[in-house]
Amino acid sequence: MSYDDYRDGKPLIVTAALTGGVHGKEANPSVPETPAEVAEAAAAAEEAGASILHLHAREDSGERAFSAERFQELADAVRDATDDAIVQHSTGGTAAPDALRAEPLRTDPAPEMASLDMGPLNRYRHLTSENTRALVDALHEEMRARGIKPELEVFNGGHLNEALRIREELAEPPYVNLVFGGGTTTVPSPRNLLHMVENLPEGAEFNVLAFGPHQLPLTTMGILLGGHVRVGLEDNLYYDQGQPAESNAQLVERTVRIAGELGRPVASTAEARELLGL
Amino acid sequence: MPDTCEFLERRRTGADGESFEHERPYCTAVDAFVQPMRADVCAKRYDLDPESDCEFYRGAKGAGSITGFDGAGTTDSEAGGS
Ligand code: SF4
Repeated sequence: MSYDDYRDGKPLIVTAALTGGVHGKEANPSVPETPAEVAEAAAAAEEAGASILHLHAREDSGERAFSAERFQELADAVRDATDDAIVQHSTGGTAAPDALRAEPLRTDPAPEMASLDMGPLNRYRHLTSENTRALVDALHEEMRARGIKPELEVFNGGHLNEALRIREELAEPPYVNLVFGGGTTTVPSPRNLLHMVENLPEGAEFNVLAFGPHQLPLTTMGILLGGHVRVGLEDNLYYDQGQPAESNAQLVERTVRIAGELGRPVASTAEARELLGL
Repeated sequence: MPDTCEFLERRRTGADGESFEHERPYCTAVDAFVQPMRADVCAKRYDLDPESDCEFYRGAKGAGSITGFDGAGTTDSEAGGS
């Protein structure tokens, strides 16, 4: 969790966020949506160096799906297509009822990891993903009961307070995903990344997620700060300004290449499991 | 009340010639395919309602301010800043 970790060659965990639920093929035709498409993208991302695969389920129309059945179909396809990558289900879902938010935890086997949004997030002009404390605690309780490691989605500085609120109940080490972008996420800047890292809960491992054009610079900074990184089409549809990304693997390959140039080894899946206490 | 937004259609091909294997939600108010997250509003899932939850719907219908404010009873100087 520091520049010393970088200097000491701590392995870098790369998460590939393959599809998301906000935009889809209408924004970039390369976004995988069906279970078969996501599985193919997962295999390529794993091959490129990703050890965690962050999954959202969708209908064939690209619309969001939350049912355990659709997540089961998706996770089965991904497991069949990959070697032993860590599967991480999203429990995010702006405007979806609280009960549906737990459905992605109810596959067999349960995912090794799942995202846990730490608080409110504005969407569009009229929507808010509320993520009440009651929901955060209920999802966390079910994750603990099912042996699922939470990835704490910290959309802004206030959500670090929320992470501290549940610090004692978190399995070691806490895994905190620091999110940078527009709206109610942290204003993307190097200084803000430093501030967020400084205020992490004691003993936490952290990941950097930055949207759009901030993905490349801030994840690179995360590599130097001893953190881990998430890339992929969920967070960034472009490889360069005006140049749509061709695939998730293309974004993972760039991160792996940069880590190599900086002398930071990329974690194998076994190393990622060890680092995260899975 | 209709089951979905009156501007919702399901299409494979868009106004700009883009085409997809599966039908997708398409908004005729803005002539564009709808993002998946917004599509739940279009489909009126989860108690979402275009009239209260979609700015495109409100724009197309000239729905105005969500508070009902229409500027009546104010002057330019009152409505202005400091
Ligand atoms: S985007 Fe808005 S106006 Fe268009 S179909 Fe959906 S709810 Fe209706």
